[in-house]
Amino acid sequence: MQLTGLPIETVAWVAALAAVVITALYVLKLRKRTVEIPFSPLWNRVLTSKRHRSDWWRRLKRLLSWLLHIVIAALLALAMLGPHLDDEVLDERHILILLDNSASMGATDVTGGHDRFEVGRDKARQVLETVGGDDRVMVALFNNRVQPLGPFVDDPSLIDAALREQQVSANPTELEQALDFAADSLRDRQPAELVVITDGAGLDPDTSLDIDFGPETTVRHLEVGESSENLAITAFNARRYPSNRLDHELYVEVRSFFDRPVDATLEITANGRLIDTQSLELEARGLHRQFYPGMATAGEELQARVRLDTADARDVFPLDDRAYAVIPPPTRLQVQLVSTGNLFIEGPLILNSHIEFERVDPDDFDPNAEFDVFIFDRVAPEVPPSGHLLYFDPPEEASPFEIIGRDEEPILTDVRQSHPLMRWIDLVDLNIGQTSTFAMTNEDTAVASAFGRPMIVARDGDERRKVAVGFDVRNSDFPLRVSFPVFVLNILDFFAQDDVDLMYSFATGQTWSIPVDSGVESAQMITPEGETRRAVIHSGAAHYYGEVPGIYRLDTDGESTAVAANLANPEESDITPQSLDFETAEVSREIDDLLFDRRQLWVALLLAALALLLIEWLTYNRRWTV
Amino acid sequence: MAQPASEPSNAFDEAFLKKIEYLYIVSRKIAAGKHQAKRKTRLVGSGIDFADHRQYTPGDDVRNLDWRVYRRTEKLFLKLYEEEEDLHIYFLVDTSRSMHIGAPNKWNMARQLAAALGYIGLCNLDRVSIVPFSSAVDDRMAPTRGKAQIFKVFDFLDRCEAGDQTTLKDAFKTFVSENKRPGLAVIISDFYDPEGFDEGLDVLRYHRFEPMVIQLFDQREFEISVQGDVELVDCETGEVRQMTVTPAMMKEYKRVFREFCDELQTYCTRRQILYFRAAIQQPFEELVLKIFRAGGFLK
Repeated sequence: MQLTGLPIETVAWVAALAAVVITALYVLKLRKRTVEIPFSPLWNRVLTSKRHRSDWWRRLKRLLSWLLHIVIAALLALAMLGPHLDDEVLDERHILILLDNSASMGATDVTGGHDRFEVGRDKARQVLETVGGDDRVMVALFNNRVQPLGPFVDDPSLIDAALREQQVSANPTELEQALDFAADSLRDRQPAELVVITDGAGLDPDTSLDIDFGPETTVRHLEVGESSENLAITAFNARRYPSNRLDHELYVEVRSFFDRPVDATLEITANGRLIDTQSLELEARGLHRQFYPGMATAGEELQARVRLDTADARDVFPLDDRAYAVIPPPTRLQVQLVSTGNLFIEGPLILNSHIEFERVDPDDFDPNAEFDVFIFDRVAPEVPPSGHLLYFDPPEEASPFEIIGRDEEPILTDVRQSHPLMRWIDLVDLNIGQTSTFAMTNEDTAVASAFGRPMIVARDGDERRKVAVGFDVRNSDFPLRVSFPVFVLNILDFFAQDDVDLMYSFATGQTWSIPVDSGVESAQMITPEGETRRAVIHSGAAHYYGEVPGIYRLDTDGESTAVAANLANPEESDITPQSLDFETAEVSREIDDLLFDRRQLWVALLLAALALLLIEWLTYNRRWTV
Repeated sequence: MAQPASEPSNAFDEAFLKKIEYLYIVSRKIAAGKHQAKRKTRLVGSGIDFADHRQYTPGDDVRNLDWRVYRRTEKLFLKLYEEEEDLHIYFLVDTSRSMHIGAPNKWNMARQLAAALGYIGLCNLDRVSIVPFSSAVDDRMAPTRGKAQIFKVFDFLDRCEAGDQTTLKDAFKTFVSENKRPGLAVIISDFYDPEGFDEGLDVLRYHRFEPMVIQLFDQREFEISVQGDVELVDCETGEVRQMTVTPAMMKEYKRVFREFCDELQTYCTRRQILYFRAAIQQPFEELVLKIFRAGGFLK
């Protein structure tokens, strides 16, 4: 028996005093109520008939009553000592509860709660309820980031209120990050208990984690979840064709995490209109990929939905059954070509309907003209206008790019294929008669060079971008190649930042960067639930941390941009529960083993004393013990 | 240590008088066919109604010899006649302190009973006397007769004061020594005598009084409500007894109380003494009618 209450000497004094008082009260004669009776001999007869058989019993009852009160006093004294069983650990412990609230915890394959998170939260609260008075406890939620609900506290009720308000997120899981946080938190706080409440979804079953939690840390994994049966849309993207910016292509990826074949229906809607539906037959853990060429027009909100048709199967994770995509309307660039005439350059500009094109002679050029892009063909103004600038064979005296020389018939040796200007372009065997080569600054990127001498250079400034092509296109076979119009469009897209690959589609649980016009100072994000949140503007982009799948709207100075967010995470959609294993620590998985409860025997003693008191009261009032 | 009577003196008001007048009319119906205005005593002597024979003994009046019987049996028998005389009715009313406990109390019932029965006696031209007693005879209303004397009875009962302890034997001894003329002795009491009731009643019987016992009790004394640790104080003796009254003891007390009443009743029955028991919560007219119907008082 271990004692954690008042000092034993103090309790002994109190108990002795109580015993003396009780005994004194029993010894003292009770001040009794006076009742006048007409004829006492009748009562004498009553007493005479009773006395011979009840005297010893009456004395015994009185003794028993005294003993009962002594026992009650003893129980109270014992309760004050704060007794605990010998096998209980009474040292102060730091207990860290890591509760997974990643997307997979939204699976509904559980009993005792709506979803895995609710069950896990209840388990966390159970742990909190059993925490001992000397323990310090902290609860941290984790998905792809760790969110502690507070520091280590000795009063679990402080955490409980915050814990009850938490909900499951749509973010992926990064368990190792959470475990690193736990290790850092517990390593210097020994002895410690780490309770990880997670489904382990997405973990490699063969992975054994090597994390040092400290020598006296007990690791427990409370696993939630029972099933892997899920049907998910793991990818849903739209992209614009480079050749035709009005035409788009959709890509859908549906995965089955069932261990048997299932039937499903895939539906695609645009602005709420059903534009396609088809039945799928998915193998066990099968994958279905589907392209939709030319399915939608610009400015539409797309939604893909997969529905399970197999009668005896249940999709327990509904979050990834829908996916979203948006196709923003393309921007129409206003372009001015300053040239005496160059049909090779004018051609791609004239044919593209998303470009408003105008050509002026160099003599008529107005530096104050307002265009998105200025293209200078073999000329360069003294004062560059405001806007993005493209130079073809700029004259040395006014070139914004310092010309360091001119090469005859250069051979392209270095082409940066990853640069946006080089997308879908191959410059192999390009024949050029003569070209200028440029000096590089910190802001410049050499897109194409001949033996280290840059001849196509892109400059990425704060507000405007510049590209210089060192040669006259007419003095090369470049305009005769199919890649030339693409090159011109790539340059215009580079200026306009109009990425033709993917529209604004982001994954949940990440900070999204959405380019905004220069001069925009504030932006609001309207979430799928209709709430308005502030987005941070920095470096020409709005930044927002999105956690819910759906269509968002970014409002900036009257302009609205649709943004799609999806879970789009096959690892998270694989909700198969997994067990945690560590190389350095044994993991307990038994819920019964999770007993932080220091059995509060004083409560039982107090209840016993109360019960005895009630029995005494009852027997006294029923006149059984008097 | 005399105490004033606890009840107000207007107990004998006009309504009470009407009530006992009604009871008197009822009593006459019950006693129809009997001699009116007179009672027959058990004395035999100079009356005209034949009562019995007995053997002649020397010294008897030879005028009463029954010669017809002598002729048939050749033995001398004397004819006995009932002697008619006015009857003495003594109302021995207990005024001890136990009669004055509670409100209403037994004393109030006792004096109303005495007044009602006394009125019947006065109407029958009997000689009525009221004798209050406790440990001794406290006072005495001299025998009186005639209906008009009822107000004297009322006045005397009103003036009666509470006595102290009940001692039937001593009180009745005094009574018989002061009243030589035997008669009907109606004892109205709770009979709470620590020394017992039998010796006192025996004194009356031995002095040729015809006792009639009316035992009064308070229902609250029987159905006691007191429980727990109490200090019981005898109102007459002042004896103090500390005890814890339990339900079992209350049950035992009821049994003892019934036993006490049964003892008194058994004593009276065995000695052919008229016995009535009544709770004071019972209307007194009911008790009076019960006495009439039982006979003994109306003859």
